[in-house]
Amino acid sequence: MSLLHAEYLKLSRRRFYPVMILILGVLTGLTALFLLVFGQIAPDLAGDVPVLEKPGAYTAGAQQMAGQTWFALILAVVLLGGELSTTAWATSLTRDARKTAHIGSRLTIFVLAAWAAMVLATAGWALIVLFVSPGDGTPSLADWLGMVWRLGLIQLAWVALGMGGIAMLRSVGPAIGAVIAFSFIEGILALWGPYENVSLTAASTGLFDIGVGGFMDTFIPGGDLGLAHSVTIIAGWTVLGIVLTWWGLQRRDA
Amino acid sequence: MPFDAADSPAIVVEGLVKDYKKIRAVDGLDFAIPTGVIAGFLGPNGAGKTTTFRALLGLTRITEGRIEVLGHPVPTELQAVTKQVGAIVEEPGLLKSLSGRINLRVAADTLGFGHERIEEMLDFVGLSDHANRKVDEYSKGMRQRLALAAAMLGEPRLLLLDEPLDGLDPAGQRAFRSRLRDLADTGATVVVSSHDLADIEALADYVVVIDHGRLVAQGTLESLLDGGATTVVVSDPARAVAVLASSGISAVDNVGRLMVSEEDGSRIIQVLGQAGIYPSEVTPARSTLEAVFLGMTGTEER
Repeated sequence: MSLLHAEYLKLSRRRFYPVMILILGVLTGLTALFLLVFGQIAPDLAGDVPVLEKPGAYTAGAQQMAGQTWFALILAVVLLGGELSTTAWATSLTRDARKTAHIGSRLTIFVLAAWAAMVLATAGWALIVLFVSPGDGTPSLADWLGMVWRLGLIQLAWVALGMGGIAMLRSVGPAIGAVIAFSFIEGILALWGPYENVSLTAASTGLFDIGVGGFMDTFIPGGDLGLAHSVTIIAGWTVLGIVLTWWGLQRRDA
Repeated sequence: MPFDAADSPAIVVEGLVKDYKKIRAVDGLDFAIPTGVIAGFLGPNGAGKTTTFRALLGLTRITEGRIEVLGHPVPTELQAVTKQVGAIVEEPGLLKSLSGRINLRVAADTLGFGHERIEEMLDFVGLSDHANRKVDEYSKGMRQRLALAAAMLGEPRLLLLDEPLDGLDPAGQRAFRSRLRDLADTGATVVVSSHDLADIEALADYVVVIDHGRLVAQGTLESLLDGGATTVVVSDPARAVAVLASSGISAVDNVGRLMVSEEDGSRIIQVLGQAGIYPSEVTPARSTLEAVFLGMTGTEER
């Protein structure tokens, strides 16, 4: 618990996390403007862009957040990278030599932080849906809870991969470039049928079992993946991220 | 002398070797540091001091050798060691965007201890009035003192401090030394690495000198400084130096006072007397650590 509290202190006392949430809020607002408002106020300009209606518009918000992979990746890279590029990581190990415990505590706090941000952004999205989207009805409590745990699971995988990236590369700038490039390429590869079956991006969509409809579905693979299949894929990528983190931190001196 | 030779050593290193690819940073190093001393770990730049410190803390994998810290083999029982050792290795590992107080809370949490000693430690290092400022705004000396406070939070039995006085102004160095002495007086062992000989001479009870990754000398400061030199005052220093040299005794003219590398004053008097030179003063000289160090390492600058 002490290590977790140390990580919580480090995260909560820095401006970095609120700034990240602010950026996520701006992006969420812009996406909501495009998918929830634009089609209603300028239908001619919107063309094929669908107007999302309740109650599906609520779930679409959570799915949008699941696609915000940059948040978890950058959070993990910057926070762990800030320690690895200075003597902070080595100093932590002089206080508690258990590398596994350090990795576990960072993974836990980073995932909780990314998860909380996604839940917050989904709540913001839902508020916009409530006031601007046509249609009736809201998801049940079970549906909301389902969205929450799904978002957490997705953050777990991306945070683990972000930590793996920085642990391997040790330098924040190149690691951010590498993990964002990976996320982008992974998303494109997911459009390719054979790879879709192991794609983290596709599995994120598969978890929600929903498409936004219209031409947008073409660009959002994974709608056909079942829940169990999606969870398995996400678990696999999470394990890969943790293994990369461990190996990256183990293979070189602290 | 604050230590007892009967105590088991705080640190034992035997045959330590550390290779970085093709470079051998530490080459068969052997030394032991008694419990309860302030020990100076001396060596020129590149001698292997930091690598040795990192090996003692399990931060680097050693190529060969055996390390024992406070009776625990490293790295096998590293976790037991880290709970009893406070360390500053290279730059203090502080989180600059956080305040001094929060840095100590993070340190206490990582150590697995409560926050009870934080205020005491802030007071000990004289940072109570600056505890809520971001470390980013601290001077180098304040950061060093905060790092010392963090290293001492767990009431360590051993402190390993890598170049802790580097970059401190003279007042800061004096304050830091005073705090280390206070700590040693409580029975803790303090090991301070430095390439600054004056730091060590002013601070240490015990000295380990290494060069090229090997042990050059170890022992109490007294035993290293007392050794084999005599101060001689004569009317013609230049001629005296030549006479002594012809008898195989080296001497250096230090503004009219000869520093002669011979312990036996009567022999010096005899050699000079045979040449008609009669010293007005012959006294045992106390070397400086610098003279001893340069003699041992044969290196003025690296």
